[in-house]
Amino acid sequence: MDMQFDSDGYWNRSSRAAFSFEDEDDEIDGISTELPSSNWDNNGIFSDDSELPTNNYCIQISIKDLLTEEALKEVLHEQTLDDRVMAKGVSAEEELKLLRRQVQSTLYPNVKATTHKLMQGKTTSLEMYKSLHEKQQLLDSLLANGGGGHAIIAVVLFLKRTLNSAQFHGILKQRPKVLQEYLSFLQDCGDISGHIELLQRFGRHQEAALKQFQAAIELADPSGRKHQLQRLVDAYATAGVGIIPLYEQVFHAALKMQLLLEKEPHLVADHLTPIELLYACCQRNGNWKEQDMLKLISPQRFAADQQISPAQYEWTALNERAQAQAYADLECIFERIPTWHPLKTKQFHISFDLASAVQRLYELQAPATVLQLFLSKMSNSNDKLNLARRVKCIKAVIDAMAGLKQQQELIQLKETLPDRSEEKFYCENALKTLQSKRWTTDNIKLKL
Amino acid sequence: MIRSQLGTFQTLMKQMQTLTEADQQTPDLAMKMYHIICVPSCFTYFQTLLEQNGLWGLVQLHHYNWDFIYLDEGVLSLELPNLYECLYLHGNTSSLPAVAQSLRLLQMICGQPSMILSYGSHSERLLEMLKLLGNASRHPSSMDYGAWLILDRDKDYPSSLLTPAIYAGLLLEVFHQRAGEITIDKSHNKISTQRISLLQGQRREEKEERKGAAQSSSIKLNSDSDEIYGDNRYKHFAQVSSLIRGQVKALGLELQKLNDMQLDEMHDYVARKLPKLTELKAKVLRHLNASEVVIQMLGNFRRLQTLEEDILNNVSRKRLLTEIDELLTTDGQRYNTLRLLCLLYLCAGISPEELQTFGRNYCNMFGHRELPVFQQLARAGLLPQLLAEKKAASTKLLSQLPLPKFQQTEFQANANRLRLLTSFADNQPEGSPSGASAARSSNATSSASQQSCPSFVFNGTYIPLVAQLCSILLKTQNADELATKLAMIEGFQLHLPNDTSFTPKTYAAHLKTSATDQDQFPITQRKIFVFIVGGANYAEIAACDLVAKLTGATITVGTDNLMAGSDLIAAAFKH
Repeated sequence: MDMQFDSDGYWNRSSRAAFSFEDEDDEIDGISTELPSSNWDNNGIFSDDSELPTNNYCIQISIKDLLTEEALKEVLHEQTLDDRVMAKGVSAEEELKLLRRQVQSTLYPNVKATTHKLMQGKTTSLEMYKSLHEKQQLLDSLLANGGGGHAIIAVVLFLKRTLNSAQFHGILKQRPKVLQEYLSFLQDCGDISGHIELLQRFGRHQEAALKQFQAAIELADPSGRKHQLQRLVDAYATAGVGIIPLYEQVFHAALKMQLLLEKEPHLVADHLTPIELLYACCQRNGNWKEQDMLKLISPQRFAADQQISPAQYEWTALNERAQAQAYADLECIFERIPTWHPLKTKQFHISFDLASAVQRLYELQAPATVLQLFLSKMSNSNDKLNLARRVKCIKAVIDAMAGLKQQQELIQLKETLPDRSEEKFYCENALKTLQSKRWTTDNIKLKL
Repeated sequence: MIRSQLGTFQTLMKQMQTLTEADQQTPDLAMKMYHIICVPSCFTYFQTLLEQNGLWGLVQLHHYNWDFIYLDEGVLSLELPNLYECLYLHGNTSSLPAVAQSLRLLQMICGQPSMILSYGSHSERLLEMLKLLGNASRHPSSMDYGAWLILDRDKDYPSSLLTPAIYAGLLLEVFHQRAGEITIDKSHNKISTQRISLLQGQRREEKEERKGAAQSSSIKLNSDSDEIYGDNRYKHFAQVSSLIRGQVKALGLELQKLNDMQLDEMHDYVARKLPKLTELKAKVLRHLNASEVVIQMLGNFRRLQTLEEDILNNVSRKRLLTEIDELLTTDGQRYNTLRLLCLLYLCAGISPEELQTFGRNYCNMFGHRELPVFQQLARAGLLPQLLAEKKAASTKLLSQLPLPKFQQTEFQANANRLRLLTSFADNQPEGSPSGASAARSSNATSSASQQSCPSFVFNGTYIPLVAQLCSILLKTQNADELATKLAMIEGFQLHLPNDTSFTPKTYAAHLKTSATDQDQFPITQRKIFVFIVGGANYAEIAACDLVAKLTGATITVGTDNLMAGSDLIAAAFKH
């Protein structure tokens, strides 16, 4: 019993033995506890940079070993947001000096000091920048110093408040960087109309159209969405700013889809992608032999309306039909009469890689006959053999071997097949045709 | 505590407004009712917004910059996930000052480097801000890094866009990562969320089953706390997965031994070994799970890789385009397919018309609402700008002129100058004139083991720019040599501690004329700190690690966030 108990103890200890992160907190030393705003609770930096073995997390380092006194003070000083708070324990003279400096800074603009403060995110008043020239100077000084975006926005907001719109836009126009920052600000703000208006004002109509489209399509209410899209499509065509074909097409397609959803409300699950909608159409389609092109939700009509590429159409249909286990329909999808010669018989046509079609059908557990049908369309016998083996379609393997004239392998394969199975017969037949060499090219040549 | 994002801040303000309206008492202004901590910095205009919303005085703003976080040996991160999106997509530089502050703090601790090499506009802005912040009064004793290298993400997109071949890189590719920890969840990961569920090959019932079994665990990507990860992180994935399988088998044998033991022996064994063993087993199992999911998710990895290699070397552009299009149809992944297209654009160029057809198919697949993505990516320089039709007339005229068809993209030109494409370099005769990179290419040819060339992270097709620059810095003997190596490429800036900056060429010239300045090359302190503005990835880190090993130096990679290529593209979707 005793022993049993003992080993339990080991078990309990085991999980904690390897590494302990617990005492990480202990090492915040005197300085950092006195100054709560310091950011020294991350030891990772120290352990990495101090050339000590890095897996030792529990090194006792005083902050003084890392930084000099002045540097520490400077860093802490930067951490405070409001400079106007007076430090405690300052002598009267010092205080007077400080106050004098503060009064001066509120009365006379000092571009350099303000820039510095703004960049560090400190509270500072901009009210003393009265003249247009001073305002511009401030902005330019920010730009020249690398200008953190938030500082620029702070100034821009101030300008917007204190200048009329003509002046304000004039300033933006001369400084594209500032404009970009401001646009980004408006976007983050969620002020879409302001954003769009500004884009249009500065001649960026394409972006504006895009933003409008985005706003329209995000609308929750379907009729409102349709209305907005309609307006956008009309405006875009007549705006005379040039048309980006992709935008135009997508605008139209989105509008059409909205109209369709209105007419066929049972299809509705909001915010479907066209492919998902096509999938739904496929599910509803009963007649695959001759699709009714007048019906809006017949898959082919829908694909044409939405300009879905043949490959995408076929792939979606293939997936849907296989999922529904309606394998007979697959032939109808992939066989079509060549348009240039309507009298010709139907031809097999596929717009994407046959191999991936076979692979997918196999994943969807399609029967071997279907797989064979698709495999039989492959022209390269080697590839066919490999693929057929991978998807375990024995008949296709036999076909491929016969195509490659691999008699030996065929015989070997025959041995492994169960007696009186369909595959066995098939294999024997293949062997027979292979052995009778009447139709090979060599024989023909000899006769000639 | 919020991230410094305007959107979050505004929702917060709205919530507070409703709260204060409900509370009719006149608030005591001295008593701050709410405190908001912004990470990493508090934007100046937040105060203005507070005032506008009538909340001034009620809310106290604080900021907290957590600076670099140590993720792993040689990997530091600021964990600012939205920086790429802000900088490169929206042109919003609000977070840069905070980064500059963190960098300066690092300078205070580690001492100023003898020089900083920057490449890219954001990097230069960072350095300008560093200058404005004033010289750090540095610790007298320490001068840890010989050189700093600061580089923009957009100068080396391919190393993000290519699929890495190393273990750590692929883990990041498939699983969600946060502060150096990945979550393994069998039913849900980065790649499966990119697909449209309807077109997936599995039967419904199967899916249900998987849902039941789903449980998540996590792996810490830190070589100190996880020795298996530490051993394997920068190895080729195929190697790693077989290694892990081997370990599992070994563990099984070890446990079998237990059955044959005497009682005393067993007790002793349980006491000393078993705890460690069980811990190890748990870890190995986690890695096994992870690698299995990776294999399952990446599917036809080899095909992807040959495709990527062809893109890099620009082999028959037309075929590549159709292949990408087919991938979109048969295995459409929201981000990764787009990522291939971006790679193609960078390496071989795409005409607006080609983008047009792709965009059409893409919108069909993922919905019309994704249309703005193309504009976003164009802004980041990942895709061409779509042009309005009225200009079409002139381009048509141009295309009718008998211009030479072959056009090099900027990427290709630069990559060739720096010898980044190793599969090309292999074909070149050994001993070509320019020192270090010739040594590299001969390295690649002479030794069959890929481990000797940093390009192993991409199966030997491409060397990340950072790694190449590091090795150039470490191997250069004098300023002239550097000048010749980097002369062809615009945008490099050398910054010296005394606040002067040169291009490599003018620096070499300057040294000849001035008597006071010493040549900083070769770098005496064999330590380099690399900072990538806009997200580094594990391929780059691994490549740097190898360069460091080859040259006997130490390279620390710092960044704002670790990002896989799909994260990069995903950023464009958050409009």
